[in-house]
Amino acid sequence: MEGFFPWDFTVVPAKFHLFASAAGYTLYITTLGILAGIITGLVVALAKISKRKALNKLASVYIFVIRGTPLLLQLFIIYYGMTAIVTVPPLASAVIALGIHNGAYIAEIFRGAIQSIDYGQMEAARSLGMTRGRAMRRIVLPQAFKRAVPPLGNQFIIALKDSSLASTIAVPELLLRGRQMGSSSFMYMEMLVIVAIWYLLMTGVLSYVIHRVETRLKVSDRG
Amino acid sequence: MDKTNENKPILSAKDINKWFGDLPVLKGVSLDIAEGEVVVIIGASGSGKSTFLRCINFLEEAQKGTISFRGKKIRKQGRDLNKLRTEIGMVFQHFNLFPHMTVLGNVMEGPVQVRKMPYKKAEKHARALLEKVGLGDKADVYPSTLSGGQKQRVAIARALAMNPSVLLFDEPTSALDPELVGEVVQVMKDLANNDGMTMIVVTHEMWFAKEAADRVLFMDDGIILEEATPDKMFSEPEHERTKQFLQQILNN
Repeated sequence: MEGFFPWDFTVVPAKFHLFASAAGYTLYITTLGILAGIITGLVVALAKISKRKALNKLASVYIFVIRGTPLLLQLFIIYYGMTAIVTVPPLASAVIALGIHNGAYIAEIFRGAIQSIDYGQMEAARSLGMTRGRAMRRIVLPQAFKRAVPPLGNQFIIALKDSSLASTIAVPELLLRGRQMGSSSFMYMEMLVIVAIWYLLMTGVLSYVIHRVETRLKVSDRG
Repeated sequence: MDKTNENKPILSAKDINKWFGDLPVLKGVSLDIAEGEVVVIIGASGSGKSTFLRCINFLEEAQKGTISFRGKKIRKQGRDLNKLRTEIGMVFQHFNLFPHMTVLGNVMEGPVQVRKMPYKKAEKHARALLEKVGLGDKADVYPSTLSGGQKQRVAIARALAMNPSVLLFDEPTSALDPELVGEVVQVMKDLANNDGMTMIVVTHEMWFAKEAADRVLFMDDGIILEEATPDKMFSEPEHERTKQFLQQILNN
Protein backbone atom coordinates (compact mmCIF):
# COMPACT_ATOMS: atom_id res chain seq x y z
CA MET A 1 0.00 0.00 0.00
CA GLU A 2 3.01 2.30 0.03
CA GLY A 3 2.49 5.57 -1.79
CA PHE A 4 -1.21 4.91 -2.04
CA PHE A 5 -3.24 8.08 -2.30
CA PRO A 6 -6.87 7.63 -3.35
CA TRP A 7 -7.50 11.10 -4.83
CA ASP A 8 -6.21 12.87 -7.87
CA PHE A 9 -6.35 16.56 -7.12
CA THR A 10 -4.63 17.47 -10.34
CA VAL A 11 -8.12 17.49 -11.88
CA VAL A 12 -9.11 20.40 -9.58
CA PRO A 13 -7.58 23.17 -11.70
CA ALA A 14 -8.49 21.33 -14.91
CA LYS A 15 -12.17 20.99 -14.12
CA PHE A 16 -12.55 24.19 -12.10
CA HIS A 17 -14.10 26.26 -14.88
CA LEU A 18 -16.83 23.70 -15.51
CA PHE A 19 -18.55 24.95 -12.34
CA ALA A 20 -18.80 28.59 -13.39
CA SER A 21 -22.40 28.45 -14.61
CA ALA A 22 -23.43 26.55 -11.47
CA ALA A 23 -21.77 29.25 -9.36
CA GLY A 24 -23.81 31.73 -11.39
CA TYR A 25 -27.00 29.98 -10.24
CA THR A 26 -25.81 30.06 -6.64
CA LEU A 27 -25.15 33.79 -6.88
CA TYR A 28 -28.46 34.38 -8.62
CA ILE A 29 -30.53 32.56 -5.98
CA THR A 30 -28.62 34.21 -3.16
CA THR A 31 -28.86 37.74 -4.52
CA LEU A 32 -32.57 37.58 -5.27
CA GLY A 33 -33.25 35.73 -2.01
CA ILE A 34 -31.39 38.37 -0.01
CA LEU A 35 -33.16 41.23 -1.79
CA ALA A 36 -36.53 39.63 -1.08
CA GLY A 37 -35.35 39.03 2.48
CA ILE A 38 -34.38 42.67 2.99
CA ILE A 39 -37.75 43.95 1.77
CA THR A 40 -39.65 41.36 3.81
CA GLY A 41 -37.41 42.03 6.80
CA LEU A 42 -38.00 45.78 6.70
CA VAL A 43 -41.76 45.38 6.47
CA VAL A 44 -41.86 42.80 9.27
CA ALA A 45 -39.54 44.89 11.48
CA LEU A 46 -41.71 47.98 11.05
CA ALA A 47 -44.79 45.88 11.78
CA LYS A 48 -43.15 44.56 14.91
CA ILE A 49 -42.37 48.02 16.32
CA SER A 50 -45.64 49.55 15.07
CA LYS A 51 -48.13 50.93 17.56
CA ARG A 52 -50.84 48.67 16.12
CA LYS A 53 -51.20 45.57 18.26
CA ALA A 54 -52.52 43.41 15.41
CA LEU A 55 -49.45 44.16 13.28
CA ASN A 56 -47.13 43.34 16.20
CA LYS A 57 -48.82 39.97 16.64
CA LEU A 58 -48.68 39.18 12.94
CA ALA A 59 -44.96 40.00 12.78
CA SER A 60 -44.24 37.93 15.89
CA VAL A 61 -46.07 34.92 14.51
CA TYR A 62 -44.20 35.21 11.21
CA ILE A 63 -40.84 35.32 12.96
CA PHE A 64 -41.81 32.48 15.31
CA VAL A 65 -42.94 30.17 12.51
CA ILE A 66 -40.12 30.90 10.06
CA ARG A 67 -37.28 30.81 12.55
CA GLY A 68 -38.73 27.75 14.23
CA THR A 69 -38.80 25.52 11.17
CA PRO A 70 -35.95 24.34 8.92
CA LEU A 71 -35.29 26.17 5.66
CA LEU A 72 -35.29 22.84 3.86
CA LEU A 73 -38.83 22.18 5.08
CA GLN A 74 -39.93 25.63 3.91
CA LEU A 75 -38.38 24.94 0.54
CA PHE A 76 -40.25 21.61 0.24
CA ILE A 77 -43.53 23.21 1.28
CA ILE A 78 -43.20 25.73 -1.54
CA TYR A 79 -41.91 23.31 -4.16
CA TYR A 80 -43.85 20.12 -3.35
CA GLY A 81 -46.55 21.30 -0.96
CA MET A 82 -48.05 23.94 -3.21
CA THR A 83 -48.49 21.72 -6.25
CA ALA A 84 -52.19 21.20 -5.46
CA ILE A 85 -52.74 24.88 -6.24
CA VAL A 86 -49.79 26.03 -8.29
CA THR A 87 -46.57 24.56 -9.58
CA VAL A 88 -43.68 26.75 -8.52
CA PRO A 89 -40.58 26.13 -10.68
CA PRO A 90 -37.41 25.05 -8.83
CA LEU A 91 -35.51 28.31 -9.26
CA ALA A 92 -38.45 30.43 -8.12
CA SER A 93 -39.07 28.09 -5.19
CA ALA A 94 -35.49 28.52 -4.05
CA VAL A 95 -35.64 32.32 -4.29
CA ILE A 96 -38.98 32.51 -2.49
CA ALA A 97 -37.88 30.16 0.29
CA LEU A 98 -34.63 32.07 0.83
CA GLY A 99 -36.53 35.37 0.81
CA ILE A 100 -39.12 34.24 3.35
CA HIS A 101 -36.52 32.60 5.55
CA ASN A 102 -34.05 35.47 5.54
CA GLY A 103 -36.92 37.93 5.94
CA ALA A 104 -37.52 36.63 9.45
CA TYR A 105 -33.86 36.90 10.48
CA ILE A 106 -33.35 40.26 8.80
CA ALA A 107 -36.52 41.57 10.48
CA GLU A 108 -34.92 40.87 13.85
CA ILE A 109 -31.67 42.52 12.71
CA PHE A 110 -33.54 45.65 11.62
CA ARG A 111 -35.71 45.72 14.72
CA GLY A 112 -32.65 45.53 16.95
CA ALA A 113 -30.88 48.24 14.96
CA ILE A 114 -33.91 50.56 14.99
CA GLN A 115 -34.39 50.12 18.71
CA SER A 116 -30.70 50.74 19.37
CA ILE A 117 -31.05 54.29 18.00
CA ASP A 118 -31.40 56.72 20.89
CA TYR A 119 -35.05 57.69 21.31
CA GLY A 120 -33.94 61.32 21.47
CA GLN A 121 -33.47 61.16 17.69
CA MET A 122 -37.14 60.41 17.18
CA GLU A 123 -38.09 63.10 19.69
CA ALA A 124 -35.89 65.73 18.03
CA ALA A 125 -37.41 64.90 14.64
CA ARG A 126 -40.96 64.96 16.00
CA SER A 127 -40.28 68.26 17.79
CA LEU A 128 -39.58 69.79 14.37
CA GLY A 129 -43.10 68.81 13.36
CA MET A 130 -42.24 65.67 11.38
CA THR A 131 -44.74 62.85 11.25
CA ARG A 132 -43.67 59.54 12.77
CA GLY A 133 -43.26 58.05 9.31
CA ARG A 134 -41.07 60.87 8.03
CA ALA A 135 -38.99 60.86 11.21
CA MET A 136 -38.48 57.15 10.77
CA ARG A 137 -37.48 57.50 7.11
CA ARG A 138 -35.30 60.59 7.37
CA ILE A 139 -33.73 60.23 10.80
CA VAL A 140 -33.99 56.79 12.40
CA LEU A 141 -33.72 54.34 9.49
CA PRO A 142 -30.57 55.83 7.89
CA GLN A 143 -28.79 55.45 11.22
CA ALA A 144 -30.29 52.03 11.87
CA PHE A 145 -29.15 50.73 8.46
CA LYS A 146 -25.56 51.57 9.33
CA ARG A 147 -25.78 49.62 12.56
CA ALA A 148 -27.40 46.72 10.74
CA VAL A 149 -24.50 46.32 8.29
CA PRO A 150 -22.33 43.90 10.33
CA PRO A 151 -25.13 41.46 11.25
CA LEU A 152 -26.59 41.79 7.75
CA GLY A 153 -23.24 40.83 6.25
CA ASN A 154 -23.23 37.78 8.42
CA GLN A 155 -26.73 36.89 7.24
CA PHE A 156 -25.68 37.29 3.59
CA ILE A 157 -22.92 34.74 4.06
CA ILE A 158 -25.32 32.32 5.73
CA ALA A 159 -27.78 32.81 2.86
CA LEU A 160 -25.07 32.12 0.29
CA LYS A 161 -24.31 28.78 1.92
CA ASP A 162 -28.00 27.99 2.51
CA SER A 163 -28.63 28.35 -1.22
CA SER A 164 -27.03 24.89 -1.55
CA LEU A 165 -30.29 23.43 -0.27
CA ALA A 166 -31.73 24.25 -3.70
CA SER A 167 -29.74 21.26 -4.98
CA THR A 168 -32.43 19.04 -3.42
CA ILE A 169 -35.06 20.37 -5.84
CA ALA A 170 -32.88 20.14 -8.94
CA VAL A 171 -31.68 23.73 -9.25
CA PRO A 172 -28.38 23.35 -11.13
CA GLU A 173 -26.36 25.28 -8.56
CA LEU A 174 -22.91 24.51 -7.18
CA LEU A 175 -23.61 21.60 -4.88
CA LEU A 176 -25.81 19.77 -7.36
CA ARG A 177 -23.15 20.26 -10.03
CA GLY A 178 -20.56 18.79 -7.68
CA ARG A 179 -22.65 15.71 -7.01
CA GLN A 180 -23.38 15.20 -10.69
CA MET A 181 -19.76 15.60 -11.71
CA GLY A 182 -18.74 13.30 -8.86
CA SER A 183 -21.09 10.52 -9.81
CA SER A 184 -20.25 10.65 -13.52
CA SER A 185 -16.47 10.65 -12.97
CA PHE A 186 -16.29 8.64 -9.72
CA MET A 187 -14.16 11.49 -8.39
CA TYR A 188 -16.50 12.70 -5.66
CA MET A 189 -13.87 14.14 -3.39
CA GLU A 190 -12.12 16.05 -6.15
CA MET A 191 -15.35 17.56 -7.41
CA LEU A 192 -16.57 18.45 -3.93
CA VAL A 193 -13.25 20.18 -3.24
CA ILE A 194 -13.84 22.27 -6.35
CA VAL A 195 -17.28 23.15 -4.98
CA ALA A 196 -15.71 24.11 -1.64
CA ILE A 197 -13.20 26.39 -3.36
CA TRP A 198 -15.99 28.12 -5.31
CA TYR A 199 -17.93 28.73 -2.09
CA LEU A 200 -14.82 30.03 -0.34
CA LEU A 201 -14.11 32.40 -3.21
CA MET A 202 -17.60 33.83 -3.02
CA THR A 203 -17.84 34.07 0.78
CA GLY A 204 -14.30 35.50 0.81
CA VAL A 205 -15.17 38.29 -1.61
CA LEU A 206 -18.41 38.95 0.27
CA SER A 207 -16.57 39.18 3.62
CA TYR A 208 -14.09 41.58 2.12
CA VAL A 209 -16.80 43.83 0.69
CA ILE A 210 -18.71 43.86 3.98
CA HIS A 211 -15.54 44.72 5.85
CA ARG A 212 -14.86 47.61 3.47
CA VAL A 213 -18.40 48.94 3.83
CA GLU A 214 -18.15 48.75 7.63
CA THR A 215 -14.91 50.71 7.67
CA ARG A 216 -16.32 53.35 5.34
CA LEU A 217 -19.43 53.80 7.50
CA LYS A 218 -17.42 54.19 10.69
CA VAL A 219 -15.85 57.40 9.38
CA SER A 220 -19.04 59.46 9.39
CA ASP A 221 -20.55 57.89 12.48
CA ARG A 222 -20.87 58.83 16.13
CA GLY A 223 -22.86 61.74 17.46
CA MET B 1 -37.44 94.09 31.53
CA ASP B 2 -41.17 93.51 31.76
CA LYS B 3 -42.24 92.28 28.35
CA THR B 4 -45.65 90.99 29.38
CA ASN B 5 -47.33 93.82 27.53
CA GLU B 6 -49.93 91.69 25.80
CA ASN B 7 -52.79 90.32 27.76
CA LYS B 8 -53.63 87.24 25.73
CA PRO B 9 -51.27 84.37 26.43
CA ILE B 10 -49.59 82.86 23.37
CA LEU B 11 -49.32 79.52 25.11
CA SER B 12 -51.45 78.23 27.91
CA ALA B 13 -51.22 75.02 29.90
CA LYS B 14 -54.20 74.25 32.10
CA ASP B 15 -54.35 71.82 34.98
CA ILE B 16 -51.79 69.38 33.56
CA ASN B 17 -51.85 66.05 35.40
CA LYS B 18 -49.49 63.21 34.65
CA TRP B 19 -48.78 59.87 36.23
CA PHE B 20 -45.99 57.44 35.50
CA GLY B 21 -47.85 54.25 36.37
CA ASP B 22 -49.20 54.90 39.86
CA LEU B 23 -46.76 57.68 40.56
CA PRO B 24 -48.16 61.18 40.15
CA VAL B 25 -45.49 63.46 38.66
CA LEU B 26 -47.61 66.49 37.75
CA LYS B 27 -50.51 67.42 40.00
CA GLY B 28 -52.39 70.11 38.17
CA VAL B 29 -49.80 72.47 36.71
CA SER B 30 -51.04 75.59 34.92
CA LEU B 31 -49.04 78.23 33.13
CA ASP B 32 -49.91 81.14 30.88
CA ILE B 33 -47.10 82.67 28.91
CA ALA B 34 -47.32 85.96 27.02
CA GLU B 35 -45.64 86.67 23.72
CA GLY B 36 -42.02 87.68 24.30
CA GLU B 37 -42.01 86.45 27.86
CA VAL B 38 -39.14 84.42 29.28
CA VAL B 39 -40.06 81.96 32.02
CA VAL B 40 -37.44 79.97 33.90
CA ILE B 41 -38.49 76.82 35.74
CA ILE B 42 -36.28 75.61 38.56
CA GLY B 43 -36.69 72.74 40.98
CA ALA B 44 -35.02 69.61 42.29
CA SER B 45 -34.71 66.57 40.06
CA GLY B 46 -37.93 64.61 40.26
CA SER B 47 -40.00 67.75 40.82
CA GLY B 48 -41.65 67.31 37.42
CA LYS B 49 -40.18 70.35 35.67
CA SER B 50 -38.82 68.49 32.63
CA THR B 51 -41.94 66.36 32.36
CA PHE B 52 -44.08 69.51 32.39
CA LEU B 53 -41.97 71.04 29.63
CA ARG B 54 -42.30 67.85 27.56
CA CYS B 55 -46.06 67.84 28.07
CA ILE B 56 -46.26 71.27 26.41
CA ASN B 57 -45.28 69.87 23.00
CA PHE B 58 -46.75 66.45 23.73
CA LEU B 59 -43.48 64.50 23.90
CA GLU B 60 -45.16 63.26 27.08
CA GLU B 61 -48.86 62.75 27.09
CA ALA B 62 -50.65 64.25 30.06
CA GLN B 63 -53.58 62.18 31.29
CA LYS B 64 -55.52 65.31 32.19
CA GLY B 65 -55.32 68.96 31.24
CA THR B 66 -55.16 71.03 28.08
CA ILE B 67 -52.59 72.92 26.06
CA SER B 68 -53.75 75.93 24.06
CA PHE B 69 -51.74 77.82 21.50
CA ARG B 70 -52.92 81.29 20.52
CA GLY B 71 -56.22 80.56 22.15
CA LYS B 72 -56.77 77.30 20.27
CA LYS B 73 -56.94 74.04 22.16
CA ILE B 74 -54.55 71.43 20.77
CA ARG B 75 -55.81 67.93 20.20
CA LYS B 76 -53.44 65.12 20.97
CA GLN B 77 -53.36 63.44 17.60
CA GLY B 78 -52.48 64.12 14.02
CA ARG B 79 -52.16 67.39 12.17
CA ASP B 80 -52.91 69.66 15.10
CA LEU B 81 -50.00 68.24 16.97
CA ASN B 82 -47.48 68.36 14.11
CA LYS B 83 -48.52 71.92 13.37
CA LEU B 84 -48.12 72.91 17.02
CA ARG B 85 -44.63 71.45 17.00
CA THR B 86 -43.61 73.61 14.05
CA GLU B 87 -44.55 76.60 16.22
CA ILE B 88 -42.85 75.39 19.38
CA GLY B 89 -39.17 74.60 19.05
CA MET B 90 -37.36 72.41 21.55
CA VAL B 91 -33.76 72.24 22.69
CA PHE B 92 -32.78 69.06 24.52
CA GLN B 93 -30.37 68.32 27.32
CA HIS B 94 -28.45 65.86 25.16
CA PHE B 95 -28.68 67.96 21.96
CA ASN B 96 -30.09 65.10 19.88
CA LEU B 97 -28.40 66.32 16.72
CA PHE B 98 -28.75 64.04 13.71
CA PRO B 99 -25.30 62.40 13.47
CA HIS B 100 -25.72 61.28 9.85
CA MET B 101 -26.16 64.84 8.60
CA THR B 102 -23.79 67.78 8.48
CA VAL B 103 -24.37 70.74 10.75
CA LEU B 104 -25.99 72.56 7.83
CA GLY B 105 -28.12 69.49 7.07
CA ASN B 106 -29.32 69.40 10.67
CA VAL B 107 -30.44 73.02 10.54
CA MET B 108 -32.07 72.67 7.09
CA GLU B 109 -33.91 69.43 7.83
CA GLY B 110 -37.00 70.98 9.45
CA PRO B 111 -37.58 73.78 6.93
CA VAL B 112 -37.00 71.54 3.90
CA GLN B 113 -38.88 68.44 5.09
CA VAL B 114 -41.69 70.00 7.09
CA ARG B 115 -42.10 73.54 5.83
CA LYS B 116 -41.29 72.51 2.23
CA MET B 117 -38.98 75.48 1.90
CA PRO B 118 -36.97 75.50 -1.37
CA TYR B 119 -33.49 74.09 -0.83
CA LYS B 120 -31.57 77.25 -1.74
CA LYS B 121 -33.66 79.43 0.49
CA ALA B 122 -33.41 76.96 3.38
CA GLU B 123 -29.64 76.82 2.97
CA LYS B 124 -29.29 80.60 3.06
CA HIS B 125 -31.55 80.77 6.11
CA ALA B 126 -29.60 77.98 7.84
CA ARG B 127 -26.22 79.59 7.17
CA ALA B 128 -27.48 82.88 8.57
CA LEU B 129 -28.68 81.13 11.73
CA LEU B 130 -25.36 79.32 12.16
CA GLU B 131 -23.64 82.69 11.80
CA LYS B 132 -25.94 84.03 14.49
CA VAL B 133 -24.96 81.32 16.98
CA GLY B 134 -21.30 81.84 16.10
CA LEU B 135 -20.80 78.67 14.06
CA GLY B 136 -20.77 79.99 10.50
CA ASP B 137 -17.52 78.15 9.84
CA LYS B 138 -18.85 74.76 11.00
CA ALA B 139 -21.69 74.42 8.50
CA ASP B 140 -20.15 71.57 6.54
CA VAL B 141 -18.75 69.37 9.29
CA TYR B 142 -20.50 66.50 11.05
CA PRO B 143 -21.77 66.98 14.61
CA SER B 144 -19.35 64.38 15.98
CA THR B 145 -16.47 66.81 15.46
CA LEU B 146 -18.01 69.53 17.64
CA SER B 147 -17.68 70.28 21.35
CA GLY B 148 -20.75 70.00 23.57
CA GLY B 149 -21.25 73.75 23.60
CA GLN B 150 -21.04 73.92 19.82
CA LYS B 151 -23.49 71.03 19.49
CA GLN B 152 -26.00 72.77 21.68
CA ARG B 153 -25.68 75.97 19.68
CA VAL B 154 -26.33 73.99 16.49
CA ALA B 155 -29.37 72.49 18.21
CA ILE B 156 -30.61 76.00 18.99
CA ALA B 157 -30.08 77.02 15.35
CA ARG B 158 -31.97 73.89 14.27
CA ALA B 159 -34.93 74.85 16.46
CA LEU B 160 -34.80 78.48 15.27
CA ALA B 161 -34.81 77.40 11.62
CA MET B 162 -38.51 76.59 11.88
CA ASN B 163 -39.19 80.21 12.89
CA PRO B 164 -40.99 79.07 16.02
CA SER B 165 -43.09 81.38 18.17
CA VAL B 166 -41.97 79.70 21.37
CA LEU B 167 -38.77 77.90 22.32
CA LEU B 168 -38.60 75.24 25.02
CA PHE B 169 -35.24 74.49 26.65
CA ASP B 170 -34.93 71.27 28.63
CA GLU B 171 -31.85 71.68 30.85
CA PRO B 172 -29.78 72.88 27.88
CA THR B 173 -26.52 73.20 29.81
CA SER B 174 -26.71 70.22 32.19
CA ALA B 175 -24.74 67.89 29.94
CA LEU B 176 -21.99 70.42 29.24
CA ASP B 177 -18.54 70.76 30.71
CA PRO B 178 -18.54 73.83 32.99
CA GLU B 179 -16.32 75.91 30.71
CA LEU B 180 -18.74 75.43 27.79
CA VAL B 181 -21.86 76.60 29.61
CA GLY B 182 -21.18 80.28 29.02
CA GLU B 183 -21.29 80.22 25.21
CA VAL B 184 -24.69 78.47 25.20
CA VAL B 185 -26.22 80.71 27.85
CA GLN B 186 -24.95 83.76 25.95
CA VAL B 187 -26.83 82.65 22.82
CA MET B 188 -29.96 82.08 24.89
CA LYS B 189 -29.62 85.49 26.52
CA ASP B 190 -29.31 87.19 23.13
CA LEU B 191 -32.45 85.41 21.98
CA ALA B 192 -34.35 86.55 25.04
CA ASN B 193 -33.10 90.12 25.24
CA ASN B 194 -32.42 91.08 21.62
CA ASP B 195 -34.89 89.00 19.63
CA GLY B 196 -37.74 89.03 22.12
CA MET B 197 -38.15 85.27 21.76
CA THR B 198 -40.79 83.66 23.93
CA MET B 199 -38.98 81.05 25.99
CA ILE B 200 -39.65 78.48 28.67
CA VAL B 201 -36.37 77.32 30.14
CA VAL B 202 -35.78 74.53 32.61
CA THR B 203 -32.33 75.30 33.99
CA HIS B 204 -30.16 75.75 37.03
CA GLU B 205 -28.18 78.60 35.50
CA MET B 206 -29.14 81.32 37.94
CA TRP B 207 -27.37 84.08 36.08
CA PHE B 208 -29.41 83.34 33.01
CA ALA B 209 -32.54 83.59 35.14
CA LYS B 210 -31.35 86.84 36.69
CA GLU B 211 -30.41 88.50 33.43
CA ALA B 212 -33.07 87.24 31.07
CA ALA B 213 -36.12 85.89 32.88
CA ASP B 214 -39.34 87.79 33.47
CA ARG B 215 -40.62 85.14 35.84
CA VAL B 216 -39.10 82.27 37.75
CA LEU B 217 -41.21 79.28 38.76
CA PHE B 218 -40.14 76.91 41.49
CA MET B 219 -41.57 73.44 41.03
CA ASP B 220 -41.71 70.97 43.86
CA ASP B 221 -43.34 67.56 43.97
CA GLY B 222 -45.46 68.01 40.86
CA ILE B 223 -46.80 71.51 41.50
CA ILE B 224 -45.66 75.10 40.99
CA LEU B 225 -44.94 75.97 44.60
CA GLU B 226 -43.76 79.49 44.05
CA GLU B 227 -43.67 82.06 41.28
CA ALA B 228 -41.89 85.40 41.34
CA THR B 229 -39.63 87.80 39.48
CA PRO B 230 -36.02 86.61 39.52
CA ASP B 231 -34.99 89.34 41.98
CA LYS B 232 -37.70 88.42 44.41
CA MET B 233 -37.20 84.67 43.99
CA PHE B 234 -33.48 84.79 44.66
CA SER B 235 -33.47 87.41 47.42
CA GLU B 236 -36.57 86.65 49.43
CA PRO B 237 -38.28 83.37 48.51
CA GLU B 238 -41.48 82.73 50.41
CA HIS B 239 -41.41 79.01 51.04
CA GLU B 240 -38.99 77.09 53.18
CA ARG B 241 -38.59 74.46 50.38
CA THR B 242 -37.59 77.18 47.93
CA LYS B 243 -35.02 78.59 50.34
CA GLN B 244 -33.50 75.16 50.92
CA PHE B 245 -33.32 74.45 47.22
CA LEU B 246 -31.76 77.81 46.30
CA GLN B 247 -29.24 77.40 49.08
CA GLN B 248 -28.19 74.02 47.76
CA ILE B 249 -27.86 75.36 44.21
CA LEU B 250 -25.83 78.37 45.27
CA ASN B 251 -23.53 76.28 47.45
CA ASN B 252 -22.61 74.06 44.53
